[in-house]
Amino acid sequence: MTTILQQTYDLSSARPLRSQRRARAIAILIRLALLLALLFVVARAIWADETCSSPYLARIDGQEEFVYVWTLGVDGMGDGQDKLVTVDVKPGSPTYGKVIHQVSVAGRHEAHHGGFTDDRRQLWLAGLESSKLFIFDVYSDPAKPRLVKTIEDFIEKSGGAVGPHGVYALPGRVLIPALSNAKDKTGRTALVEYGNDGNYIATHWLPTKEEPRGATGAEFADGYGYDARVLPRKNVLLTTSFTGWKNYMTEFAKVASDPEAVKQTGNSMVLWNFHTRQPRKVFKVPGAALEIRWALGETHNYAFTATALGSKLWLAYEDAAGEWQAKEVFDIGNVKGGVLPVDISLSADDKTLFASCFGDGKVRVLDVSDPHKPRQLLEKEIGRQVNMVSQSWDGKRVYFTSSLLSKWDKAGKDNEQFLRAYAWDGKDLKPAFALDFTELKLGRPHHMLFGATAMGERKAVPAIVSR
Amino acid sequence: MNKRLFHLRTALLLLGAIFATVVGSQGEETLSRTTDHDYDAPAPGTYQLPVIKAAADAALLDAASKPINLRDLTRGRITVLSFIYTRCASAKACPMATGALMDLHELSADHLELAQNLRLVSMSFDPVHDTPERMRSYSALASGRPKAAPWQFVTARSETELQPVLAAYGQAVDKKANPADPTGPLNHTLRVYLIDREGRIRNIYSSGTLDVRLVLADVRTLLLEKAAR
Repeated sequence: MTTILQQTYDLSSARPLRSQRRARAIAILIRLALLLALLFVVARAIWADETCSSPYLARIDGQEEFVYVWTLGVDGMGDGQDKLVTVDVKPGSPTYGKVIHQVSVAGRHEAHHGGFTDDRRQLWLAGLESSKLFIFDVYSDPAKPRLVKTIEDFIEKSGGAVGPHGVYALPGRVLIPALSNAKDKTGRTALVEYGNDGNYIATHWLPTKEEPRGATGAEFADGYGYDARVLPRKNVLLTTSFTGWKNYMTEFAKVASDPEAVKQTGNSMVLWNFHTRQPRKVFKVPGAALEIRWALGETHNYAFTATALGSKLWLAYEDAAGEWQAKEVFDIGNVKGGVLPVDISLSADDKTLFASCFGDGKVRVLDVSDPHKPRQLLEKEIGRQVNMVSQSWDGKRVYFTSSLLSKWDKAGKDNEQFLRAYAWDGKDLKPAFALDFTELKLGRPHHMLFGATAMGERKAVPAIVSR
Repeated sequence: MNKRLFHLRTALLLLGAIFATVVGSQGEETLSRTTDHDYDAPAPGTYQLPVIKAAADAALLDAASKPINLRDLTRGRITVLSFIYTRCASAKACPMATGALMDLHELSADHLELAQNLRLVSMSFDPVHDTPERMRSYSALASGRPKAAPWQFVTARSETELQPVLAAYGQAVDKKANPADPTGPLNHTLRVYLIDREGRIRNIYSSGTLDVRLVLADVRTLLLEKAAR
């Protein structure tokens, strides 16, 4: 009987977009099948992943087993090259909390961010300085990623985009927001698309005052880029803005003390029509808004971002009239004290937000249950400097790395380089394990991505790819 | 699955298709926002669909067990190609893709331009179970609409012949650890491809983007490209 009903569900769910009359007519069959599906989900709802990953990405079935760390090489340390470091985080494993594999790429490229393809078979890692992209096979043996391809002509193929930053999974392709351009190496830049095969597809330049490309708020358009993330349900893409090659490859003290350099930092956020890749609205967001975290709730039409140089938490949201807005919602810290919130992580229930602050090495944990009125729950030092923060889908494990940029990291004893893992109990962070990347002669750890041997059904997340 | 159950399943599928068609057959105007696709579709021709790559060829079998080249199903008309397996019971996977193709098929029956320029293809990545006979049963979904665009149901001769096709299109398929999983025995990314008349992939949809209104806008954007030449 179960099979028969399941097949009936096959049929009824094959009619998702037609009239309400039809939907009502087959509603009873659907409900029966949904009841079965719900029972099935409840029976096996233990699964996890990184909360900030692309909604188009295949999900890990169960707990993450590996943390992949894209690590900047340091001259004179180990082989001095950028490398992908694999850390075992499988509970009970004899190598839990240890580095179990590393693959160096030739040379130093300012290793920064990366991302999986939608089928999670490849991990693409980008170099901000060289504009190279390194494609790893993480499917054949997730414990031992293998470099299979290097894209060396990103600048030429993209028509002059420089500094590939994130790699964001879309169906059959990846979206790569860049940070700069070949002409003047300022922050004027583009979003670039590649197929999962590594074939170039298209370039979309960020809107400027001179070329707003149909966007409203053109007076705020500076053409800068940083992060790019999609809310499929609303067909919107949001992008933020940082700074160009000239600044991110220069010592932070020099940039901070040069008024002209400071002027060349991003002050905008852009809302796009995702399907058409056309900018719709430009918001003025001063102070270099970096990571974007869309809320995951089915009716939560909003995203958070934090301004690194402004130390503010911003909310992009759809108002009651259906118009998209952006506003400051929280002061993360005193910018003159160098708080520098550089990464944020939003829990899967949209209630808790971790903001890692490079300047004072602390994480601020905020209650964002009311996204318009966040309040701080905890302020805790993670190290002398801290950069990326990633949390598991169940919210129980939180990982931090230390490096911001090779030219912007602190010096001397403040230049701690680590991966530190914590358990989060809803009130405090308790240390789980720590790896000293200097002592291990690995380099400067930056972006973390979760890996596993098991990928499964993704039932609890709206608008995602089913597997 | 035993033969009796297979026939029962097929009968249910057919009955349901007829039932759903009778009670719900309406025009394009009924396509509207849903909670999963809460936006307006763009106007055709107001945006670009860059070429992603060439649609690969493959030697396949149609629902009548006749050899057919995938190339012949991805050239000459605008093609919407969906990779599926008929045992899939995951609500946001193959049933959703087939539902979208069925909507397009119905619409094409009422729109001459679509009937003359569109082609639908459902290709199985489960050749052992999805034999031509099974695909023929499945093709009942396309019956009763003589004026509609052609809808082909094809499968591969074997797993060995299938693998290069999956690799060429980037269609990930794995066996699940639990073959008795109620949603079906295979893990797969949902992929539906939009292919132009010259056999070039112009868009790839998944459950987050497989909105018939978007597919229609894309098809009409390609039709306008042709008209502008």
